[in-house]
Amino acid sequence: MKKQSFLAPLALVLSLTTTSVASAQTLTMGVRGGPESMDPHYSALGPHAEAAKHIFDTLVWSGTDLQIEPGLATSWSPVDEDTWEFKLRKGVKFHDGSDFDAEDVKFSIERIPVVSGPTTTTIYVRRVAGVEVIDPHTIHIHTDGQAATLPNDFIRLFIVSSEAAADYSTPETAAEGFNSGAATIGTGPYKYVSWEPKGDLVLERNDDYWRGKGSWEKVVRKEIPNDSSRLAALKAGQVDVINYVSSVDYLALENDANIDAVKGDSVYIMNLQLDQREKTPLVRALDGTELAQNPLRDLRVRQAIDHAIDRQTMVDIVLEGLGRPANQMMPPGFFGSSENIPMPEYNPAKAKQLLADAGYGDGFEVDLYCTADRLPGDGAICQGLGQMFTQVGIKTNVNAISKTVYFPAQARLEYSMFMNGWGTLTGEASYTLGGLAHSNNPDVKLGAYNRIEYKNDDVDRLLQTGARMMDADQRRATYEEAMEKVMADKAYISIVQLQTVWGAKAGSVEFTPRYDEDTLAFFIKSAN
Amino acid sequence: MLGFIIQRFLQAIGVMAVMSLIVFCGVYAIGNPIDIVIPPEATQDLRAEVIRRLGLDRPLYEQYFIFLVNLLKGDLGRSFVYNIPVLELIGGRLPATLELVLISVVSASIIGVSLGIYAGYRPESWTAKTIMAASVLGFSVPSFWVGLILILTFAVNLGWLPAGGRGATIDIWGVAWSFPTLDGLSHIILPAINLALFKLAMMIRLARAGTREIMLTDTIKFARAAGLSEITILRQHLLKLISIPIITVFGLELGSTLAFAVVTETIFSWPGVGKLIIDSIAVLDRPVMVAYLILVAFLFVTINFVIDLIFALIDPRVRRGAAS
Repeated sequence: MKKQSFLAPLALVLSLTTTSVASAQTLTMGVRGGPESMDPHYSALGPHAEAAKHIFDTLVWSGTDLQIEPGLATSWSPVDEDTWEFKLRKGVKFHDGSDFDAEDVKFSIERIPVVSGPTTTTIYVRRVAGVEVIDPHTIHIHTDGQAATLPNDFIRLFIVSSEAAADYSTPETAAEGFNSGAATIGTGPYKYVSWEPKGDLVLERNDDYWRGKGSWEKVVRKEIPNDSSRLAALKAGQVDVINYVSSVDYLALENDANIDAVKGDSVYIMNLQLDQREKTPLVRALDGTELAQNPLRDLRVRQAIDHAIDRQTMVDIVLEGLGRPANQMMPPGFFGSSENIPMPEYNPAKAKQLLADAGYGDGFEVDLYCTADRLPGDGAICQGLGQMFTQVGIKTNVNAISKTVYFPAQARLEYSMFMNGWGTLTGEASYTLGGLAHSNNPDVKLGAYNRIEYKNDDVDRLLQTGARMMDADQRRATYEEAMEKVMADKAYISIVQLQTVWGAKAGSVEFTPRYDEDTLAFFIKSAN
Repeated sequence: MLGFIIQRFLQAIGVMAVMSLIVFCGVYAIGNPIDIVIPPEATQDLRAEVIRRLGLDRPLYEQYFIFLVNLLKGDLGRSFVYNIPVLELIGGRLPATLELVLISVVSASIIGVSLGIYAGYRPESWTAKTIMAASVLGFSVPSFWVGLILILTFAVNLGWLPAGGRGATIDIWGVAWSFPTLDGLSHIILPAINLALFKLAMMIRLARAGTREIMLTDTIKFARAAGLSEITILRQHLLKLISIPIITVFGLELGSTLAFAVVTETIFSWPGVGKLIIDSIAVLDRPVMVAYLILVAFLFVTINFVIDLIFALIDPRVRRGAAS
């Protein structure tokens, strides 16, 4: 019985390998950031997950456009109000030859809260109350209340081997166990060879991978954080592919015949946030005196600010064309993005009129804060905004500072008008709206990132009911309605959606850019 | 002598204590390290849980006290970011920085002093004037720009040398060094040149100034009158007399380059400690910052101590002064 269940997928794998172009080559990637540990459950940061995806698989797969697809779980459905059933893929083997089964999933889920680091991967299993193994390929997840988006949470649930990682699942032993390779046994397309913090990650191909054999026998991921050095390494031929080409270099690369520049839409959208508190620290009258009320609480003032922004110029001039105007906090086509939201109109005359109607005909002064070193163009966009606002009468002092100072200060609610990028990495709205648009309410665990005290009771209601709707279409409609209300309130003003650029040796590789900016060796195919 | 050593040791402890206090207070003033790395999906309770687990919810003096207690046990803590013991993290990257800095600073000093002495010895010659003009460039050109130009010229355009990273390593005494291999040397050359430029310029000017001054003194006049050859004069007399400022600067430069070769390490992706510390500061990885800066303070005190000993060796006046 068991032998037969292996033969079918084995035959499939064999047929794939005989037809694919199996090149005996090494792919050297120059990446901007690398993992913090070889333990996939340690960190929730993007570069860490990207590296982990080479060695380990996730239960649910996030596709190129961030919509979910089968991964190590082939299908899932709610059994009742607080139980989900996941059917697991058969015939998958770990790198050490042992079989993948439900025990490994249970072990992985239970391991996460124990070993997660400061970036807290516990978020991926926060709704899980218990895991029940039904049979080796079926698992029941019991949740705390209705968890409609549980499958979306599992796009970063990496599955480790319950046998190999058994002794390495406490905070003291996890790092050593995984960094040495003892526990670094996954089901992914590549096997671990060696790694040093901030150093090179060396991998070799897993020939029995369930998706098929990758193009590369060996993969080396070199961490080169400096943009110019990374590009120089590509031009010198030391690496084959790089990520995050800066916009300035991108313009130069268009004329370089030796380098292919691959451009893709990013999930990151720059959002301007306007403080809704009654007293706000960094807004004042033009003569420096305190204002009677916070002007940002007046809808007309917020609409004026929105009309003052020339999004197309922002994309064309400030971002050198590497972006798109944005009208909501998620890219179009995501679960919960509404098609009914109009693109805001650039109309400085109307902005001035609205300000006058609100009683601020003379304007006021505000300090604008943003990061300068986190996302491409963030500081430049801020400066653009400062100029646009000043032109309609809102004198703006631009402060583009390091993220090291910005985020803690923002968490302490020290800012009145600020902008940073937000990426909807799970591909659906509860992630974004739940964190930003709901009022800050620790009891329902929503609004953790709402730092402007924005509160709209309708939005709160929609988000709470949406989170409990198990029917996908109903939920989608609810979230779309919530998004429309949030964007109409203009406390969050979306400005632009960013684009990411990869570089590669001309004609050597082909791949499709991903929204979450991940660079995955398995999906980079040799073009020869 | 023993009293001198003890005094220096106590000084070292004092500096290290002040340094650790400054880092603790500084990080506390900027804010919670959590807010920089915590992912957007984290709920309020998860954030609170992480803060509690890392001990960041306790008052500052309590956190500092816990740090001191662990320090006495020999435990410098684990990095917030990598969850590896800090000493292991720093120690893993130290050999790379050591070999780059030592090669760079020692060759810069030897070449610089030699060129400087020549420039001071024959100040009117055409060679001397070229050397001095070139040394101005060494001072004024920013090292990140020079680094990128070096990469562009030698790696991208000419393809002679690699564009960055460290070469193949050989294990000596259990530690991986790359300078014994040819591949390793080819990777060291460009960053070493980049690091050495400033020190070269400084050594040239120092040596030249010292030489110009000493060559005009009576000592040299009498030595010539005694019939000593020029080479002997330069070696026996001149070198010793100009060496005190040169050795002081050498020590300071060695210390600061060892600790803070950040720009070069970043440009050339050299896996050293300079890059580690700047990244740790950017994410407020306090255990790494504290441990590293304490070690750097200790390093500087040690270097100064060794230099003082060398003075005593070279200059008999210092020896006699200390004894009396």
